[in-house]
Parts: sequence; C-alpha cells; structure tokens
Amino acid sequence: MAARIFKGAEFLITEPGKDEVFVPEDFSDEQRQIGATTEQFVTNEVIPAREEIEHQNFEKVVQLLRRCGELGLLMIDVPEEYGGLELDKATSMLAAEKISGSGSFSVAYAAHSGIGTLPLVYYGTEEQKARYLDKLTSGEWIAAYCLTEPDSGSDALGAKASATLSADGSHYLLNGTKQFTTNGSIADLYTVFAKVDKEYFTAFLVERTMEGVSVGPEEKKMGIKGSSTTQVILDDVKVPVANVLGEIGKGHKIAFNVLNIGRFKLGAAVTGSAKFALSDGVKYAVLRKQFGRTIASFGAIQEKLADMAAEIFASESLVYRLAGLIDNRLATIPKETPNYYDAYQKGIEEYAMECAIAKVFCSEMLAFVADQVVQIHGGYGFIQEYPAERYYRDERINRIFEGTNEINRLLIPGTLLTRALKGEIPLQREAMRALDSLTTPSFEELDDSIPFAAEKALLSGLKQLFLVVAGSAAQKYQAAIKDEQEVLMALADVVINVFAMESAVLRAEKILPRLSEAKRQAVTAAVRCFCFGANEKTASAARKAAFYSEEGDTLTILLGAVRRFTRYHAAGLLQDKRLLAQAVIEAEKYPF
Amino acid sequence: MKILVCVKQVPDMESRFRPDADGVWYAETDLAFRVNEYDEYAIEQAVLLKEQLGGEPEITLLCVGPDRVVEAIKKGLAMGADRAVHVRDQASHLKDPFQIASIIAAYAKGEGFDLIFTGMQSLDRGSSQVGVGIAEMLGYPCATTVVGFEYADGTVTVKRELEGGVKGTVRLKTPALVTCQLGLNQPRYPTLPNIMKAKKKEVSVIPVEQLLQQDARLVMAQFRAPAKKGGGVVLEGDVADQVDRLIGILKDKTAVLR
Ligand SMILES: Cc1cc2nc3c(=O)[nH]c(=O)nc-3n(C[C@H](O)[C@H](O)[C@H](O)COP(=O)(O)OP(=O)(O)OC[C@H]3O[C@@H](n4cnc5c(N)ncnc54)[C@H](O)[C@@H]3O)c2cc1C
Repeated sequence: MAARIFKGAEFLITEPGKDEVFVPEDFSDEQRQIGATTEQFVTNEVIPAREEIEHQNFEKVVQLLRRCGELGLLMIDVPEEYGGLELDKATSMLAAEKISGSGSFSVAYAAHSGIGTLPLVYYGTEEQKARYLDKLTSGEWIAAYCLTEPDSGSDALGAKASATLSADGSHYLLNGTKQFTTNGSIADLYTVFAKVDKEYFTAFLVERTMEGVSVGPEEKKMGIKGSSTTQVILDDVKVPVANVLGEIGKGHKIAFNVLNIGRFKLGAAVTGSAKFALSDGVKYAVLRKQFGRTIASFGAIQEKLADMAAEIFASESLVYRLAGLIDNRLATIPKETPNYYDAYQKGIEEYAMECAIAKVFCSEMLAFVADQVVQIHGGYGFIQEYPAERYYRDERINRIFEGTNEINRLLIPGTLLTRALKGEIPLQREAMRALDSLTTPSFEELDDSIPFAAEKALLSGLKQLFLVVAGSAAQKYQAAIKDEQEVLMALADVVINVFAMESAVLRAEKILPRLSEAKRQAVTAAVRCFCFGANEKTASAARKAAFYSEEGDTLTILLGAVRRFTRYHAAGLLQDKRLLAQAVIEAEKYPF
Repeated sequence: MKILVCVKQVPDMESRFRPDADGVWYAETDLAFRVNEYDEYAIEQAVLLKEQLGGEPEITLLCVGPDRVVEAIKKGLAMGADRAVHVRDQASHLKDPFQIASIIAAYAKGEGFDLIFTGMQSLDRGSSQVGVGIAEMLGYPCATTVVGFEYADGTVTVKRELEGGVKGTVRLKTPALVTCQLGLNQPRYPTLPNIMKAKKKEVSVIPVEQLLQQDARLVMAQFRAPAKKGGGVVLEGDVADQVDRLIGILKDKTAVLR
C-alpha cells in the first residue's frame, strides 16, 4: 500500500488515520540494532568519560567522535556514493535520541553530523564532497556551522561577515566574527555564512588551517560545558572560489534548510535526554525514604512520574511521526532525479512547520521533565553529585539554539499563513466553514466502540477551534498580523498542542492491538493524561488569542467556541495517573 | 575452516518475570529479548579467529527458537558471522538441554565443522549442558568455561576457569567444541555498515521437526517465584538496649555465639 503523502500542515484540515503515522514500535530489526549499538557506545565509552568531557578535555571528545566514525554513526545521512549509508530519517532520529544520554557529547555529535556535515551533503559539488566528505564521515575532521554573529543571532541574515572576490577571481577574502560556534575549537572545517559585496548571503567551506582563521576562547557556559563553544574569527581569509558552497546569494537556503533538520533532530535528542532524566528520577524516588516510606509511594511524586511519562510519550510519538512524514515524501523522489537534493530539500522544507513544532514542543517537554526530576531529588537535586543538577543546566540551551523557541513559534503561524496565501492549503475556505458551523448546534455523540473516541472528537474540535480563532485574527489584521506577535505565539501553542496530542493518540491507537493488557492500560492512561493537560493548555492559548485580538460580539462568539471545542471529559484521570505512575515505578524508567 | 556458533536468545535479565499460563516456564509478555551474553563471547571469538586467519573461515550461526530469534540472528550476522541457520521451533522453551543439543548435533553432523563455539550457559535456563551435549553427540573433544583462546595449525589452546580462581590450560585437536565464559573477550557492537550488510546475508530456516529425534529426558515440573522470606526485624530504641536484644537473638536463633 502506497503511503498517503501528507502536505506540510495538512493535519490541521484533515483527520489522518492511525495507519498513516509511523511509530517507534514500527522499527525494523536493523533500526533497533542501530539504536542498540548507539546505546552501547554511549554506555561503555562516553559515560565513563563524562567527567573528563565536562571538564573540557576536548581531545577526548574528538577521540570519541572518531569512534562514532568507526561505528558508522557519522554516515547515517551521507549518500552511499560517498561512503555513507543514506538511512532514513527515522533511523537518524533514533541515533540522535540514543546518543543524547551522553550529555555534552551529544551536542558535539549533533553539530558535527548535523549542521556541520549536512550543508556539504546537500549543497556540495561532486568535487567538494570528494574532497571533504570522507574526512567528515570518518571523524578524521570535525565540522562546525558558523551562522550566528555577535550582532546577529535570530536575525541571522543580518550577518556582517563579508566576502570579497579577489581581482584575479581565484578566491574570496573573508572577514568577520562568528559567535557561539559549537565545536569551534575542535573543528577542521567550518561552514561559514558571509555576504558577498555586503549583499549576497553565501556559504563557504573554510578550513581551519587557512591563513587568517582563528578561534576565540571557550565560552563559560551554564550547561553542556563539555561541548566547545567559541568565536571563529576571520581575518582576510583567502577562500578559493572552489569552496563556495551552493550558489552566491543562496546561502539563506542552506542556512534554513539545514536548520529544519537540526530542529527536528533536536526534538529527537531531547526526547532521549528526557528518558534518561526520568529514569534517574524514578530510581531515586523508589530508594529515597521519608516518613518511613519511599517517596515514590506518595501521590505528589507519582503525579510527577505520570506526567513526565505522558509528556515523553507524546514527544516521542511526535518525533517519529514527523520522521515518517518526511521519509514517506523523500521516498517518492527517484534517486536518479538530476537535481535530487533540490527535490530532497523541498521535501523537507514542506514540513518546516512541523520541524518547528518538534523543536518547541520537545525542548519544553524536556524543560518540564528536568525540572520535575530536580524536584523529586529534593535538596540532592541541587547538588552536583547527583545527575539531576546537570540535566537541569544542560536542558536550558535547547530552548535557545537552532532558532529560539520564540522564533520557532512565530514560524508556525507564519508558515501556515504563507502557505495559505500561496493556495497550498485551503486554510481560508476551511476557516470560513468552521466559522459557519459555529451557528449550528453540535450533536456529537461519542461512539465508544472506537478507541480514543473522546480524544479524537476533541482533536477534531480543536482543529475547528484553531481555524475559527486563526481565521478571525487573519481577517482582522490581514497582512499586519505578522506584527501581532502575542497573537501569533498563542496560535502557535494551539497548533503545537494539537499536533502533539494527535501524534500520541494515533500512535496509541495503532499499537494497542499489539500490546499486553498491562501495557495497553498504561498507554491508554498516558494518552488520557497527556490529552487532559494539553487540552487545558490549548484552551488557555485559544482564549488568550481571542482576548488579544477581538472584542464585543466576535469575542463572545470566539469564547463560546473555546468552551464548545475544548470540552474533554477526563473521568478517571486520577486512576489513570496512578496507573501510569505504577508502570514507571515498576519499570524504573520510561515504560514504553 | 568451517566454524559453527550456537546462540540463544534470552530475555533481558532485569525484567520482571512471571510464570506462564501452564506454570512451567516464564511468560514472554512484555519481555525484551537479546542475545545470550555468553553466546556473544562465542560469536566474538569466532569472528576474532576469522580475522586472525585472514578471513578464510566461514562462520555459520545457529539459533533454535521461535520467530522472534531472527533479531538475535541478525545481530550475530552483523557482528561478523557469514550465514545463519534458524531452526524454527515455536516451543523451544519446552525442550530439555538434551533435546536442544541433539537438534544442533543432528544439523552439524553432516556439515564437517572444524570448530564449534557455544556459550558456557544460557542466562535463562543455566543448564550448561547444551555445549557438552553437542560435543558428546558429535564425538568432538570439548573444553568448557573458556576464558582464553588461541588457535594454530589445527590445535586449539584454551584457558579454562576452574574452582577458586585457578586456571587450567587445555589443548584440543580440531574438530573441537569450546563453551565460552565471561572474560574471554569484549564482544564488539556491530557497526552501522555491518548491520546493513547483514540484511543481505543468507539465513536458512529449518523446521525443528526435521532435526528432532529425541524425547525429553527432563521435564520442567513447575516454574514459580520463590516463597517470600519473612520480613526482617527492625530494632529500635536505646542503643544499649538494642545491643542486648541483638545478642539475645544471635544466641537464640543462630549458631554464631555458641
Ligand atoms: C551553546 C551555544 C551553542 C551554539 N551553537 C551555534 C552554532 O553551532 N552555530 C551557530 O551559528 N550558532 C550557534 N549558537 C547561536 C544560537 O543559535 C543563537 O544564540 C540563537 O539563535 C539566538 O541568537 P542570539 O543569541 O543572538 O539572541 P537574540 O537573537 O538577540 O535573541 C534575544 C531574545 O530576543 C528574541 N527575539 C529575537 N528576535 C525576535 C523577533 N523577531 N521576534 C520576537 N522575538 C525575538 C529571542 O527569541 C530571544 O528571546 C549557539 C548558541 C549557544 C549559546
């Protein structure tokens, strides 16, 4: 059966079926083995070196990156003709998830294999790939990505770094300072973004040994201390024209497309981190005794365990669903296509909104989990001897890099409206329909024979609600809506929560028949717990958007819509939480 | 040279085990399975030998078990075995070690293996009988609990772990069988390219009925959790008083102070 290829954002106006989502339970034996190899590598080789790495023994980091090279962990996304494996995104995400247990090291790994290597893979010429790719997939050379500058972070295209063609046309002269470069001090190859003639944003492959390249001191950071972050300073660096990556003036394409994958991968990585954190949290909870009993026996702690498991379940469901969406689309592009990587990039760009959703949802999920794990540890959570403290510090950066969560939130309705204006998805028509339907009373009766009938009804209601609220805001502000950031952020929260809830529900529905009775109950509980919380957040965001953007009768109508569409009868919520907590306690880790 | 490595797939030992419906083995519900740890030493040693001999030997991996064992077979292939035989048996857990050994011996008989590696024991049943059983049935010399292995010119020299930390050195002429113990080597984890290459390696499936010629000699009568031990006694109160009570208990209930 050929998979239905969903358009980006299409989930908001359709109801995908359970068999149309990829779930981690669908992994092949090979994918599971790749996960196991990654896990063993982290447990046997990285974790024992963690202290050293945290104290910035970067030689160790490089050595371990080379081990990644030997194991093949750096060739997942690299084409076969350049010695890579060209595995699907689901596998790539699984490796990112499994490596995340290594803390700082996973940041070095992600920067090297992701934003460091991918620009070359996607945009390099045959000759450039032949020159560099082997070195990067073996780990002989380490890669870094230099987009940010001291005065341009979120506003990446405002870069000041300049590139000037030499009189003889043989090379560009690069000048400027790049800020916060991950792997800055250990990298051999930098993908540097600079403006040709102060105007044409362009990417260059800059070797560390080129004259004029220097690296600033290590930044003193709050977390991920074992990853190198430095300035990269370019002082009249002569970069041969053969090292221009992609086309002159098309650097923004490279920068942003690579970030799509980076954001998505960050989602996978933080999902892995959250599993590690929960595992430490519950292990502590079953050991620590107060008042003559384990703290895991207290409802207050159990609720935390349940909420964390539910959030991670949703996050995991979301990440692999997105992997499936992208893989299905990329699989339709014949390898012989002349401009394969152009089509490939378009395939990924299609899901730019979903990638932003993954980035925001998953990083905030980890923030919640890390915070709860500190809390479970009480005072010991504040003490460096226990792992909770590091999770808490390391987590923070995920909401900042790869585009801050504000930038990513803005991108969500932004992408949506742009696509609607281009006529790629019939958002306007659907919004009108949703508005009309407000005047007709609803007679929904739940068909209890369908699994998760209540959750599905809720989801279809929330999509209506989004269309109503976003539709009326769009109508009111028209193009000026881009300046109403508060409204856009609230709308983004609705979309994020809907996508997460739907991913969790569809995954659960798909896997239920394969599960034991005990697992079935736990998964069902996870879905209900998650949907309850996410629906509350969605309701609050929708209400906020309504109050922000409307008044009078329209406001009343919108508030009515919020009431109508966010109804979710969560009877048995407490039992669900306790049951889920028991599953976590029994497994002493994330139970799914 | 032809090498056979016998592997079994066993549950993750950190799982929570429950008796199955008949109460004669554990229920497989919600268990995660993996390659028996000792069998990983066996695979690794076979692959090391293959590497030592410049890649000449052909390594066949054999696994008896239900469909789920395919994952274990794939891992062995990814670690470096050349081909695999899956003796498909949906009820291998009900067979006794003698039957399992006889099944493997029946397969190996005509194949002329020069060396057979097995694990010292399986983590779930722990009988340590399958390896020696196969050797006996094939008429091969056998060394068990091997922690060191060398091969040269048709002679295998192994270090065996004996009681009380003593080690013994044993020489065997091939064809021979060794059972591998913890400490023999560090099993590699399969690299990603090898995991993908393993997909293309041959796995032949043989229904167990074709090889099974023996009746069981042992029957598992019952599988249950051990009875719960009585709860401990916690002494509380004044320390001097606690000491007196402890001495009293040691006198009355144990032989320590007699
Ligand atoms: C440890 C670390 C590693 C990093 N690694 C790399 C790397 O390898 N390569 C690389 O190129 N960069 C890297 N970065 C840079 C990172 O991507 C930027 O820090 C990030 O994009 C934010 O930019 P900024 O720090 O300049 O903050 P600013 O852009 O100044 O943002 C400050 C605040 O303003 C908000 N804001 C900014 N613009 C808007 C807007 N239009 N609307 C609403 N709110 C807005 C932001 O969300 C944020 O809250 C790294 C940073 C760190 C700390």
